[in-house]
Amino acid sequence: MTYRKGILALLAIILVSCSKKNEELAEKRPTLYFKSIPAELSGLNFTNTLSPKNDLNIIEYLYYYNGGGVALGDINNDGLDDIYLTANQSPDKLFLNLGNLRFKDITATAGIAIDSTWSSGATMEDVNNDGLLDIYVSKVGNYKGLKAHNLLYLNKGNETFEEVSEQVGLDFSGFSTQAAFMDYDNDGDMDMYLMNCSIHTPRSYGKAHKRKEKDSLAGDRFYENKLNEGVLSFENVTHTSGIYSSALGYGLALVAADINQDGLLDIYVGNDFHENDYLYINQGDKTFKEMGAAWLNHTTRFTMGADIGDMNNDGLQDIFTLDMMPFDHEVFMKSGGEDSDKVSQIKSDFGFGKQYARNNFQLNTGEASFSDIAPMTNTHATDWSWSVLIEDYDNDGLNDLYITNGIYKRPNDLDYINYLSNTDFSNYSQSQAYEIEKKLIQQMPTLKLSNILFKNKGNLDFERLTTDAGLVPSFSNGAAYSDLDLDGDLDLVVNNINENVFLLENETQGHNFMVVDLADSLQSTTGAKVRVHSGTKVLAKELTVTRGFQSASSRKLHFGLGAMTKIDSVQIIWPDGSVQTEKDLLANSFKTITKKTGLPQYTYTPAIKPKSYTKFEYTHIENKYFDYERESLIPEKLSVEGPASIRADFNGDGLQDIFIGGAKYQAASLFLQDENGGYQLKKTPQFAKDKIFEDVDAEVFDLENDGDLDLYVISGGNDLMEGNQNLEDRVYLNDGHGNFERLNAILPRINGGSISAGDFNADGYTDLFLGGRSIPGAYGLPPTSMILKNTSEGNFEAVMNGRYGMVTDSQWSDLNDDGLLDLVIIGDWMPITVMINKGNDRFEDQTLAYGLENTNGMWNTISIEDLDNNGHKDIIVGNAGLNLKWKASQEKPVKLYLDDYDENGQLDPLIFYDFFGHYVPFASKDNLMAQLPYLKKRFLSYTDFSKIKGIEDLTGVPEKDIALQLQIHELRSMVYFNNGTSFIGTPLPKEAQMSTIEDMLVNTDGTDKQLYFVGNYLDYVNELGVSDANPGGVLYNFNGTNFQSYRPLGLPKETSARKLIKISDGKLLVVTNNSDALVIDGL
Amino acid sequence: MKKTISLIFAIALLTSCGRNKMEEPLAIGPDEFHASIKKVTEIMIHDIFSPPVASRVFAYPNIAAYEIVAVNNDDYLSLSGQVHGLSPIPQPDSTKAINYQAAALVAHLELSKKLIFSENKLESFRDSLYQKWSTSNPETFEASKEYGLKVAKHIGDWMNKDNYNQTRTMPKFTVDTYEPGRWQPTPPAYMDGIEPHWDKIRPFVIDSANQFRPQPHPTFSLEKDSPFYKELKEVYDISNEITQKGDTSEEVKIAQFWDCNPYVSVTRGHLMFATKKISPGAHWIGIAQVASRKANLDFDTTVYALTKTSMAIADAFISCWAEKYRSNLIRPETLINQHIDEDWLPVLQTPPFPEYTSGHSVVSGAAAIALTDIFGDNFAFDDDVEVPYGLPIRSFNSFNEAAQEAALSRIYGGIHYRSAIEVGIKQGRDLGTYHLNKLKMTKAKELASN
Repeated sequence: MTYRKGILALLAIILVSCSKKNEELAEKRPTLYFKSIPAELSGLNFTNTLSPKNDLNIIEYLYYYNGGGVALGDINNDGLDDIYLTANQSPDKLFLNLGNLRFKDITATAGIAIDSTWSSGATMEDVNNDGLLDIYVSKVGNYKGLKAHNLLYLNKGNETFEEVSEQVGLDFSGFSTQAAFMDYDNDGDMDMYLMNCSIHTPRSYGKAHKRKEKDSLAGDRFYENKLNEGVLSFENVTHTSGIYSSALGYGLALVAADINQDGLLDIYVGNDFHENDYLYINQGDKTFKEMGAAWLNHTTRFTMGADIGDMNNDGLQDIFTLDMMPFDHEVFMKSGGEDSDKVSQIKSDFGFGKQYARNNFQLNTGEASFSDIAPMTNTHATDWSWSVLIEDYDNDGLNDLYITNGIYKRPNDLDYINYLSNTDFSNYSQSQAYEIEKKLIQQMPTLKLSNILFKNKGNLDFERLTTDAGLVPSFSNGAAYSDLDLDGDLDLVVNNINENVFLLENETQGHNFMVVDLADSLQSTTGAKVRVHSGTKVLAKELTVTRGFQSASSRKLHFGLGAMTKIDSVQIIWPDGSVQTEKDLLANSFKTITKKTGLPQYTYTPAIKPKSYTKFEYTHIENKYFDYERESLIPEKLSVEGPASIRADFNGDGLQDIFIGGAKYQAASLFLQDENGGYQLKKTPQFAKDKIFEDVDAEVFDLENDGDLDLYVISGGNDLMEGNQNLEDRVYLNDGHGNFERLNAILPRINGGSISAGDFNADGYTDLFLGGRSIPGAYGLPPTSMILKNTSEGNFEAVMNGRYGMVTDSQWSDLNDDGLLDLVIIGDWMPITVMINKGNDRFEDQTLAYGLENTNGMWNTISIEDLDNNGHKDIIVGNAGLNLKWKASQEKPVKLYLDDYDENGQLDPLIFYDFFGHYVPFASKDNLMAQLPYLKKRFLSYTDFSKIKGIEDLTGVPEKDIALQLQIHELRSMVYFNNGTSFIGTPLPKEAQMSTIEDMLVNTDGTDKQLYFVGNYLDYVNELGVSDANPGGVLYNFNGTNFQSYRPLGLPKETSARKLIKISDGKLLVVTNNSDALVIDGL
Repeated sequence: MKKTISLIFAIALLTSCGRNKMEEPLAIGPDEFHASIKKVTEIMIHDIFSPPVASRVFAYPNIAAYEIVAVNNDDYLSLSGQVHGLSPIPQPDSTKAINYQAAALVAHLELSKKLIFSENKLESFRDSLYQKWSTSNPETFEASKEYGLKVAKHIGDWMNKDNYNQTRTMPKFTVDTYEPGRWQPTPPAYMDGIEPHWDKIRPFVIDSANQFRPQPHPTFSLEKDSPFYKELKEVYDISNEITQKGDTSEEVKIAQFWDCNPYVSVTRGHLMFATKKISPGAHWIGIAQVASRKANLDFDTTVYALTKTSMAIADAFISCWAEKYRSNLIRPETLINQHIDEDWLPVLQTPPFPEYTSGHSVVSGAAAIALTDIFGDNFAFDDDVEVPYGLPIRSFNSFNEAAQEAALSRIYGGIHYRSAIEVGIKQGRDLGTYHLNKLKMTKAKELASN
């Protein structure tokens, strides 16, 4: 009885809170709001209804729930965009826009086929240059009883069409997803890229070279329009065009854009599964060159939709591609995540590029490469997503993202997969098997999600909007935008599975806009570019219509102007390269701009790879060791530190020389500077003898006070246990001429992290700090670090030692201006630790006193300078950055729990992090269960596992009883300003947060302070992903509180930089891990 | 509501009535033991255990049951002092009326429950047995249960020292070198090599994992006339020949019958799932059950037969796995795809561990020796073990004949070279014979040989 009462009370609460929510909504509706117009009002009656059959369902056909598309375009030139909708198992429909968001079904009278063949994508283009938009529909044919070929509906005027695909050679029958029209040879007519998809074979992946083998049903195709030779016909030029046309390509996303700004449209093809996405750069000679690897460090894995547009108003084309990473923590824990590190390695060996099963936000760097900043912008997880449309939906002058998502039946639910595993089809006859399939499909989980809007707030900040913006849960696929009611904002049409199509009226108000419709009496304007100038702002758009997923959007170019009322000029670059400028245009107007004659040619400056570096004669060659095969729960490799690099005058000739350590099995190198500023490798037999050591850091000082510089090199590596002789640090004594011999001494044998030299007691002898990186085999457990006092010639005495953390860097500096050198230590899972020198060899940990107690990060590098000229030294620290799946804050730190939960003598590091508001374990269920088999009994299903909220749920051990807990509060790279008594943190600008920062140089000479930084880190485990969005840059224009300007250093995009050393005036050396050292300009 | 209450009342009445009745002796026969093993096998298929781990799951519960049998039945000798690390089990309380067969089943179920994951599945089976026993004779049941649990605890403590937990956190098998001939993960799932540290598991009878170290495999070579390449080519040729003959050919039938791969990955679209079967060890446990039933063995003799067989199988896996990760030999599928035919698919899916020697061959060799010792040679039987998994019945004239066929099936399946099965079956037989000589389980040798 009380039970029932409880439920009633609960219901009441829910009801109350619902109505309250509605009130609130009415009160403060956000600036971005879409109102759904019901079909009864709009006349837009259309549902993509799916009826699974025995031989055609999600088990038999993997793309059964890919849904339909939307093509918008003005087919009768009345100024209103009309709507073509595709369906999979029912007829497509064409709707005429009558104005005021009312539509009329003209499918039958227009001559559109009324049948139930499987349509996927649709697009509109004027293929015969008669000024009327034609319609191309992609079909699935030749598969599982589906019979159809693609259709070309030629617009005959008067709202009628004639299907001519066979006559003109576009009646392809296979597995088509979508087509994009573009004039690839600039001959005045529209050619066509046809994207097809593959179907699965028992082999989940073969070698990548199979992409060179043509497949007649699944391979993509390219057709050249021969209209300029007098008659409309398309020639299949796939073989000569340079595109791939194989069964490896599961093409689902297709967008054309001028990626390299050379006046020729390029093509982005997003492939599902293991095949890379293709970035075809148009070579201008009727061929394309696939250059994905040159432009992109990685791509989405299950690429489904894509769009290209300018997300930060820098005039460059950015790419957004969609994948299927869930954002609901329980769904996330029940779904398959990233490939294991092993499978990722195998795919790489097979020739496939790096791919992640989350959205990619590829920001164009302007240097012929992209930086994926999806995790930093929190746009990386939108669940099973189909269509993304980049447009300015609130007219504030910044492009937003509209994303459709949802799969009607969810086949990647791991419980479901396990359930399926217990069914053996071989036992059953065909008809029984169909029955079982039916049941299996019924068992397949269903999850209805709201589509998602990301409102662009500037400075690469995005706000996720769903129901607040009027969006409701649905299974949505194709979508397209257009200002359907001509009220100055973009409306949306969204094709749904088993639900009427959405007509979403944009109710944004208060911002200004400008709409440009391009006209050319001779040919289609696809490929034209428009730039709207207003004050210092430039808004750039390109006219291509195939976007998102299986869909095509309006040909009118829409510009949100925000508060701007004045347009200085509009520049149009026509497809033939001629440029036209229009002035005196009014805000809030619709303007048709017709191409003039006698226009000048536009001069393009194509993006090229910077050649701002030269190779230095040193290549770091990392040994192959996979830490996570021994420690399967760790987030990062600890065996790839270094190389140690240091600059000093070793031979006493007054010129600065360079020492660079080696990886394991690689000898260290000593480069002596010659009089011409060049560097000569000096062969050092002792270094060759010691090549078994991995040199991770080094320091120079005069050990014996004999007037020359000796070397202390610390050893690292995670493959050997502490105490192994191959982990021993080494001291090399200099004979004064740069000849080194190893000192016979007993030194620490640990995985070292950092060494810093400083005479802390001012006795004329250099003292040392030695920081430990890790205890091999016990990730997270802090190793011993120590301060060593140089007592006299060569004798060291440990005056302090402790377990401060997993140290990566350290620096001596007088922080409190008392004339004594203090020490700052940083590392992983530890705060910026301040050891204040109290004199008499005494140090006091004053991290708390200086307000740094909650600064635990994944710190990599430290620099101490007085940036703000207040007379106190500030701390500049490089961190892992914001572009990670992990999120960290004071309130929701990343947590590491260390204990031997199964009492087998091996520590088990368990990490939890904040996943969209909920703590989740970092390791997958499968990975956890392999190391801790007893958990298999606690969590028989993934559903059980997905309910885990913390360490106690997972292990049964209360948080307070865990042996050791570590946290990360801060992932940003920071400046901590010293006000004399404490440190106040300020994050570095966004550009410095896109990747890890591994080393820095601060230039305090001159009037402007500059911060040079290098980074990227490629050795996180695959679940966390590589940090590869920024190899290095310069922050400058310091205004006393932060840097106002940024420019990239021009390093290769895949650089994994570790050290930045000034080698001469105007030259910097970038030492990388497992790659060439590079010389760049700077300082 | 009222109805339920009165029903509960009625049940309570019935139960209390039962108490006053005469207590019946617990009637327990070999069928209960067979049912218990069958249940555990089913759960193992659901939970997915790799073949070596599965052999461990069979052995310890059997030993627990056997040790109780040996306390009660003078024909059988305890294994304590005979297998590594096992001390005598606690003595029963002579003042209590213990049914030793019930106690043996209790111990068997209790240890099995520890070893599998889906405990609730086994608990419901156990509870129905307990229910029956406690109804017919609560006093004997309680005493037997108490003793059974005590022994299960003893065997469990011994089991926990076999290094299994320690091997969970040992490094995965790393394929960081690409020297030709070294094992590589195989399609379609490219799983890591399973159980690379199984040689560190404490064996039962053999001195160490290396005791029956087989002769090395033919030296890896891709020279056309080398013995290794000839064996590789043989796998390819046989596979092509029988594929041409089709799915109904005797060779394909043999390959499928003995597949015994507990985890076959299947890829369909975004799904990558697995079909599940029993492991090679489970198949031989099944054969031991078939033979025990055919010979009408009583409870105690059945426990003896299964214990003996399961220990031979468990040691065979330890011995075989030591060699697998010692030689780290590449699978035919990898080499054929690289050098002969990129599109070739073996008839069976290649299991995820190195090739040499063939696990099925070693295990079949060892199990056949144990079973022949128990039931005699020329013991004909119909193997219907795989019927629940959609495979037919095959008939054999002897255990050794079945073992030979099981070994040969791996070539038909395209997953082993000839050396791995020929040397493998010898490795198993040698190990099995050693077990016979070393272990003294019965007083009267000819006890069960019909």
